[in-house]
Amino acid sequence: MFRHERAPGSAPGPEALRLVKVSKTYGTAENAVTALDDVTLSLPAGSFTAVMGPSGSGKSTLLQCAAGLDRPDQGIVVVDGAEMTAGGEAELTKFRRSRIGFVFQQYNLLPTLTVLQNTLLPFKLARRRPDRAGAREILGRVGLGDRLGHYPDELSGGQRQRAAIARALVTRPSVIFADEPTGALDLRSAREVLALLRDAVRTHGRTVVMVTHDPVAASYADAVVFLADGRLAGWMHAPTADAVAERLAHLGDTVDAEV
Amino acid sequence: MFMLAMRSVRRRPGRFAGTLLSAFLGAVITMAFNSMHDTAGGAGVDDSSAETLGLSGGVVGGYSTLLVFFAVASTLTVNVRQRTDEISLLRSTGATPAQIKRMVTGEAAVIALVAAILAIVPAMLAGNALLEMFKDTDQVAAGVDYVFGPIALGAGFGITLLASAGAAYLAVRRATRAAAGERAPRARMRTIGGTLALLAGIGGISSTFAMEGDEPVLMMGPAYGAILLSVGFAAFSTGLLRALLVLVARPLGLLTGGSGYLAVNALRRRAEHQAGILMPLILFTGIGFATLCIQAVESAAIDASGLVKSVEDKNVETLNTIVVGIIVAFCCVMLINSLYAATSYRVKEFGGQRLAGATPRQVVGGVGVEAALLTVTGVLFGTLAGYAGLLAFVSVRTGAEMPGSGPLIWAGIVVVGAAATMLTTLLTARRALRVPAVVAVA
Ligand SMILES: Nc1ncnc2c1ncn2[C@@H]1O[C@H](COP(=O)(O)OP(=O)(O)OP(=O)(O)O)[C@@H](O)[C@H]1O
Ligand SMILES: [Mg+2]
Repeated sequence: MFRHERAPGSAPGPEALRLVKVSKTYGTAENAVTALDDVTLSLPAGSFTAVMGPSGSGKSTLLQCAAGLDRPDQGIVVVDGAEMTAGGEAELTKFRRSRIGFVFQQYNLLPTLTVLQNTLLPFKLARRRPDRAGAREILGRVGLGDRLGHYPDELSGGQRQRAAIARALVTRPSVIFADEPTGALDLRSAREVLALLRDAVRTHGRTVVMVTHDPVAASYADAVVFLADGRLAGWMHAPTADAVAERLAHLGDTVDAEV
Repeated sequence: MFMLAMRSVRRRPGRFAGTLLSAFLGAVITMAFNSMHDTAGGAGVDDSSAETLGLSGGVVGGYSTLLVFFAVASTLTVNVRQRTDEISLLRSTGATPAQIKRMVTGEAAVIALVAAILAIVPAMLAGNALLEMFKDTDQVAAGVDYVFGPIALGAGFGITLLASAGAAYLAVRRATRAAAGERAPRARMRTIGGTLALLAGIGGISSTFAMEGDEPVLMMGPAYGAILLSVGFAAFSTGLLRALLVLVARPLGLLTGGSGYLAVNALRRRAEHQAGILMPLILFTGIGFATLCIQAVESAAIDASGLVKSVEDKNVETLNTIVVGIIVAFCCVMLINSLYAATSYRVKEFGGQRLAGATPRQVVGGVGVEAALLTVTGVLFGTLAGYAGLLAFVSVRTGAEMPGSGPLIWAGIVVVGAAATMLTTLLTARRALRVPAVVAVA
């Protein structure tokens, strides 16, 4: 039923993220929704992957399970060689701190902290020595070098998102998860944010997994994973915006046909 | 807009529970004590009974009414502040500031009205019970019938509506101005209001000195004064909180790590918002300390005089015991109410902290540090306000002697205040953490 250009389980080189038979169901008995259905995939370190699919196909659920923000019902998640174990929130938080960074559609900066403080927060919370020089450098790189003392409500949407990216990068996590990071941005800010994410992969060897609805955004990635009804529905390498749009249209057909 | 107000009350009743509770309790207290005036005005009430009843309505009804006013107002201020998002959404949907003001003030008025109506029967029962107590202690003739009349109703509805609608109006005006990008002249208004309250408080306390040492209404001045001083201090307490933060920021950061860091920054950035929490805490400490100690002094003075207690003395003693009990309990409930509202509203903020890498423990720890700092500030000012009232009373009543039980009473009040603050905040925060972090920030 699904066309695989290459089996997603056979990525070369060291792995940054692996999901094995991950399933997640929301709700109970009668009105249960299977958000993820037996998903297996593996992403190499230093890759930039886009996750696409119709609304409600399970993209956010996939991201949250992979990032340890939500617990899958079944299956295992391995980040940077370490398996995520079932534990309390505190354990998961500690697991995430050194390995995972997030960027969400709604920036999620703390309103009570300045840009610089927000960026340094992960160190404070982990009781690590704050890498001030590193934070300044990253903030400079994302174009916020002159906004260090500003509070989030004094920034534009694009600037907030760039600050959120700086915060996700500063602890040098191996995987960065981004859920529609450009969803609330204008075209130009969106391009800047995408370039930053790509730069994190190219120059700093991070691994980025990004959910998006925008074929142009997806074309910044090395590969696109398609989801439909909670299942992997295809895989595209070196995507172009047109090819992705074309594929999405078909994906819609398949889904409609199945209903 | 009124329809919108009604709908928002009906759709989100939970959010209004806190406001309803404070308005309801306030209305019960106001009506119950003011019904003593109605009862005193009834046919065939003898002079001595009428005096007892008038005294209770005047002293207690008077200052508890004032207390209710500020307590209800501070709860509402917290409530309106939580709706900034909704207000900016309405603005962007095309609502004019006047419409928004009408909506929020209208809601507050409706809730106050409901609360006052609900309060009628409990207030009658409470008033009746109070009268029975006066009769049992022979302070009121057995034949006096309980009357719940226009004074009780007028005071109950008037105070509840005025406090609710007035506070809502002021808070929403501030919110709409802020949404429109105006720099609110908040600091100036607060300074003026706070100064007036302080001056009135000093006036109230000074009025004690104009009275004779054995007048039964002697405690009225210090009690009024302590309430007004508390209100004035609440207005300025945020400044002190800021100063305290500067002092403790470094040591706290070293001592408590992430938690202290979160707490200090959250408080520093929102120091002016804390006045709504500090007000009930300061009122509780100030009023509890002043009235309980005043009562101790009074009893000691009577014992020392070697006289058998007169009816009038018994009068005041019963009254004070009841008053102090009710008023202190009321303040405590208000404190818990405001803290609950303020903390449960922060689910989103907590979610953000967790996503940034804070463990649930660190989030709760941060809230705990905040609560501790607030407690220190509140207790300090409450003690000042209460002590001022007590000092005035003591110097007129007995010359200069402080009650021996003073420190003990103070410690008891502080322990209750601190426990209420810490427990409410921590339990509410823990509950707020049950929501998954990703859902919380959405
Ligand atoms: N907390 C939840 N409770 C119940 N059902 C949920 C919950 N979260 C998601 N779902 C359901 O799971 C399915 C997948 O949701 P998910 O948010 O992963 O979709 P998505 O692909 O991210 O969609 P979108 O593109 O609209 O963001 C949907 O059918 C959704 O209704
Ligand atoms: Mg989604």
